[in-house]
Amino acid sequence: MYSVELRGATKRYPGAGAEPVVALDDVDFAVEPGEFVAVVGPSGSGKSTLLNVLGLLDDPTDGWRLLDGTDVTELTVGERTAARKESIGFVFQDFHLLPTLTAVENVALPTAFDPGDASDRAADLLGRFGLGDRLDHEPSELSGGQKQRVAIARSLINEPAVLLADEPTGNLDTETGESILAEFERVKEEGVAVVAVTHDPLVEEYADRVVELTDGVLEGGIPGRDPPAEGPSDRDADAALRPGER
Amino acid sequence: MTEGSGGPEPGVGGGSEGARGWLRGWRPAVSMAARNLRRNRVRTMLAVLGVCIGVLAVAGLGIFGNVLALGADDAIGDIGTQVVVSPNADAGVESLSAADVAAIRRAVDDPAVGDPAVVPLYSDNAVVEGPSSQTFATVYGVEEPGLAFEAAEGRLPDRHRQGAIVGAGVAEDLGLGAGDTVGIAGSQVRVVAVLAESQTFSPVAPDDAVFLPESAFAADGYAQALVVAESGATARAAADAIREEVNAREERVDLFELAALVDEINDFFDLLSTFLLGLGAISLVVAGVSILNVMLMSTVERRQEIGVMRAVGVTRRDVLRVLLAEAGLIGAAGAAAGTLLTVLLVAGLVAATPAVDAALVLDPTNGYYLLLALGFGVGVGIVSGAYPAWKAANERPVEALRS
Ligand SMILES: Nc1ncnc2c1ncn2[C@@H]1O[C@H](COP(=O)(O)OP(=O)(O)OP(=O)(O)O)[C@@H](O)[C@H]1O
Ligand SMILES: [Mg+2]
Repeated sequence: MYSVELRGATKRYPGAGAEPVVALDDVDFAVEPGEFVAVVGPSGSGKSTLLNVLGLLDDPTDGWRLLDGTDVTELTVGERTAARKESIGFVFQDFHLLPTLTAVENVALPTAFDPGDASDRAADLLGRFGLGDRLDHEPSELSGGQKQRVAIARSLINEPAVLLADEPTGNLDTETGESILAEFERVKEEGVAVVAVTHDPLVEEYADRVVELTDGVLEGGIPGRDPPAEGPSDRDADAALRPGER
Repeated sequence: MTEGSGGPEPGVGGGSEGARGWLRGWRPAVSMAARNLRRNRVRTMLAVLGVCIGVLAVAGLGIFGNVLALGADDAIGDIGTQVVVSPNADAGVESLSAADVAAIRRAVDDPAVGDPAVVPLYSDNAVVEGPSSQTFATVYGVEEPGLAFEAAEGRLPDRHRQGAIVGAGVAEDLGLGAGDTVGIAGSQVRVVAVLAESQTFSPVAPDDAVFLPESAFAADGYAQALVVAESGATARAAADAIREEVNAREERVDLFELAALVDEINDFFDLLSTFLLGLGAISLVVAGVSILNVMLMSTVERRQEIGVMRAVGVTRRDVLRVLLAEAGLIGAAGAAAGTLLTVLLVAGLVAATPAVDAALVLDPTNGYYLLLALGFGVGVGIVSGAYPAWKAANERPVEALRS
């Protein structure tokens, strides 16, 4: 069973003219648990749209969407919000941390309104990502790479099934980018499906599979159907976590 | 087929569980709201100031109107509690007979009317001589002066048998005190008491009168009878009862009562209070518009942040709570400051102007205006925050995130 799956998904935006923009054209896409997929393609090809549809931020115009084998094509706003919270982790290109909250509070944001306190879990995650000494810093006091790690920690606070990242290394130097990718490696070892939109060859190197999107048409969306670039990923659910990098 | 893997939104299931969760959800919302407000202190302070002024206007004008009304009530207070019954000359009745007085007593002898005292008065005019000067005054004959009047000097006898009771005005004009001797229509009488200056307007005009025992009069009927009630309402009831019973067959008596006039004066002051409150409310509405503006600006600026919250799984309800809490906090802070300011201002006014009666200002009904203004301030915050909050919470996160 796939963590997340699109079947014949089409997304049309009503254009300004008579022709609607087809951002996704009959896309079949699936990610297995613990798989790291890189999505590449030229600007405007529909990559962000793909992530939005996968992440239940936007609905496909046609086709089906499944999350852990359950049809989630059409949900109410409330159900979608709950499903996002439960199963999806987002890492946005420009971090999107809340400036008034500390690192720990940003990480715990998805659970901020729930009974119980998730700050211990948030602090653990930050510690894993080498930010144990930055817990109470506000985003303005953090570097770009640190912010990105806080954003990743936030996406993992609810132990999602799917991690979606838009240009996760987009505005980071190579070294910081590599440490971010190392985090992804670790996350996928816990069985999380990782989908990263990227222009960065480094990300493609780390990915188990690279799919290409051109004008809304996706190549190699289903694993095994088209020969993937790399061998099958080494999945070890019990893999011990390595200590966080500094 | 469309079953959410995440289940329904938490807390929607309702019941007491939902209600408790609802309350619990406010704590993080308020704390987050407070931080958002601190981000743009100047803007927040200006919005708070707006509410503060609005609340000050409502509370201040409300209390001002109330103090005016209370003051007027105090000044005219007793007018409404007396009914003066006099013979109806038009019907040929020259004086009130003992039977008339008895009929009046019977008419008001009713617990519903409050059992007012009935004090019949003989009346005449005479020259009153003091030690050094003299004046022309009304001379009344009264048996139980204690029921209708109060003494400033000396004691009012239960039964007036001898001596003279002198009104405050006459006593001052002639330089008289208790124990002095006064000449009334030629005969010398000892002054047993001087009346306190009357606080009210009354056709009896006790200040300019001298009260002798009934035995000093050889008249065969009373000139008038005073009905002294506890309150305006019982006075009106007493007047109605007398009209109904004593005037049943024949219009024997004329009634002079000011209760109706007092009602009208009170109505006027109620109107004035409402008008002043309305004036205050206008400035509170202006404050509401400024909160609306602040909240709209701040939600537009924070569009992406709100989109992120929604994207990572914060429900619309919780976003709404944060934003409502922001508006509510502005309202509450402004209302608290405005209330405090009103209290200080009123206290300062009382301290600075001795003309203002502190007892009127400390009247508990003024607290009601303070509470009203406080509630209005918070309410204005929430009402004007509602639209921007609702709008921001319902925006689709995809759109909000696209910068
Ligand atoms: N809300 C929208 N309304 C109309 N058209 C849209 C909307 N969002 C995206 N599009 C169009 O859909 C197409 C795909 O957009 P998308 O943002 O997915 O591209 P992308 O692959 O992420 O590009 P980039 O690499 O530049 O981020 C583009 O042609 C874009 O103009
Ligand atoms: Mg994009």
